[in-house]
Amino acid sequence: MKNIVKFLEQPQFENPSLIVCWDEDAGKLSPQVIEYLNRKIKTRSFCEIEPTGFFSLGGVAIENNVAQFPEDRFYYSRGGNLVIFKGNEPSFERYRFLNAILDVAEHYCKVKELFTINGTISATAHTDRRRVLAVFNQETFWKKLRGYGLESMNWQGPAAISSYLLWVARIRGIPGASLWTEIPFYLAASEDFQAIKLILSFLDKRFNLGLDLQELDEQIIKQNTKIARLREEDSEIDRYIGVLESGLSLSEAEQTELIKAVTEVLEERD
Amino acid sequence: MGVKLYKEPELKDSIMFCGWPGIGNIGLIAIDTLRGVLKAEQFAEIESWDFFNPRKVVIEGGLLKDLEFPSSKFYFRRIKNRDLIFFIGQQQPSEGGTRYAEGQKAYRIANLVLDVAEKFGCRRVYTSGAAVTQIHHSLRPRVWAVPNGPDLIDEVKGYENTVLMSGIEGRGGQGVISGLNGLLLGVAKNRDLEAVCLMGEIPYYLQGAPWPYPKASKSVLEVLANILDIELDLSQLEELARRVERSIEEFLETLYRTEGIPSQVIDEIEKLRYARQTELGPITDQEQRKIMEHIDELFKGEGWSDEEHR
Repeated sequence: MKNIVKFLEQPQFENPSLIVCWDEDAGKLSPQVIEYLNRKIKTRSFCEIEPTGFFSLGGVAIENNVAQFPEDRFYYSRGGNLVIFKGNEPSFERYRFLNAILDVAEHYCKVKELFTINGTISATAHTDRRRVLAVFNQETFWKKLRGYGLESMNWQGPAAISSYLLWVARIRGIPGASLWTEIPFYLAASEDFQAIKLILSFLDKRFNLGLDLQELDEQIIKQNTKIARLREEDSEIDRYIGVLESGLSLSEAEQTELIKAVTEVLEERD
Repeated sequence: MGVKLYKEPELKDSIMFCGWPGIGNIGLIAIDTLRGVLKAEQFAEIESWDFFNPRKVVIEGGLLKDLEFPSSKFYFRRIKNRDLIFFIGQQQPSEGGTRYAEGQKAYRIANLVLDVAEKFGCRRVYTSGAAVTQIHHSLRPRVWAVPNGPDLIDEVKGYENTVLMSGIEGRGGQGVISGLNGLLLGVAKNRDLEAVCLMGEIPYYLQGAPWPYPKASKSVLEVLANILDIELDLSQLEELARRVERSIEEFLETLYRTEGIPSQVIDEIEKLRYARQTELGPITDQEQRKIMEHIDELFKGEGWSDEEHR
């Protein structure tokens, strides 16, 4: 662990919970949740995973005119009951990378549980209720979290990195859950404030954070107003969303048109 | 991290056969067919998660049930007082996005395989793969054999339908075996363990194809049956080879009819149908490159175009 992990400071913990967020996520859910959390509960970074061996370091990627570089960091809250990991998914050596996260979490922080935050693209309308689908790595942990409005899911297919992390955590005996919040597909490229609020409300309730979510309420109203205006101005878009609201599906071409129109309107400056 | 043993069979002077996916899956099909026909029993497995990414997750009712990784399993069987070990890997470990074995992980897995070989008294290892060459798909593929020590050359020369690198015109006994088939030979050599790689010939224009090439696997199996002095029922493999050959013919026919490839390419492939295998290729390297540009385009992203035995 010595060469993989770099400690910036060494705070003390008493069995905190770990929240894991990945930088790339549908509706920017995961990074936005952490950004909000870091700001509201004033977290500090205390440790990072070195990128060597996990990422191609032959240069830097440029996104939105800015050079990017992989950043995988741990943060802690002032009370010390919450540890947050925010990072980029590794390109190589995923098993070693996930073990590095859990080495810090288990041996240094002595975490009692972990949660991963994820968005999952859904064919629902933005006016529909978002569900939080959950995957647990221990049955007892699932029972413990009944009453939080989480819904179970079934899936067989490619494994997301969060599922891989849960599996590695299970080997170590760390209880964990992946929380997958539904994001309407036409908000996946933008931000889904409703979903961000939903998951923050869960974290607030679970960890008694006393979060003020008013800022998000305002953003939800603003976003919904913009889409409502688009529906008034464009009858086809109104029809597409109406189809989704009635639980029916759209053709590929209609989906593309809806994504394009909504993304454009949400990107407009106020 | 290492090998999980389910059983510790008492094996002596054993021979190990290793198969992995590769061009046309020639080696994998050959070794796995031999394992199946001889009804070998599983006794160990390499813990795969340090080498591979998971293939599949199974979530039921909100509970993470399982994460499936490509398997790397060992089997054993005693036949005619001879102990045989089989290693079947569903994937070659790689680093940096290549599809064939490369880097530290490949080296580690090669060592793990040979740890098991040595633990169970292995004295000889056979690996198997593909030899990309100028052969027509209607012809019987030969088997290129590469031993890891000069002492084995005379023995290998005695194998039927087999050729050493020095027997292939224009090679001068030189070449490269990429992936685990080659690496294992080298690692075995470092351990003073005898090893031979048997590569079934595959037409160069099919090296990127997404289909298996069982005809070459059959050639490899015939050599292995001879070595082991056993009769093998290869009827299923023969049937598969016939079906694949028909599909290749149909595929090329369609290309000819629809002019999917230039007539020059068609002519060059047809020339191979009547060429003697011992002749230097009937086309030049430059012409072969030109043909491959067209053929690769057809199979883009589907096959194993990043692997080649030269």
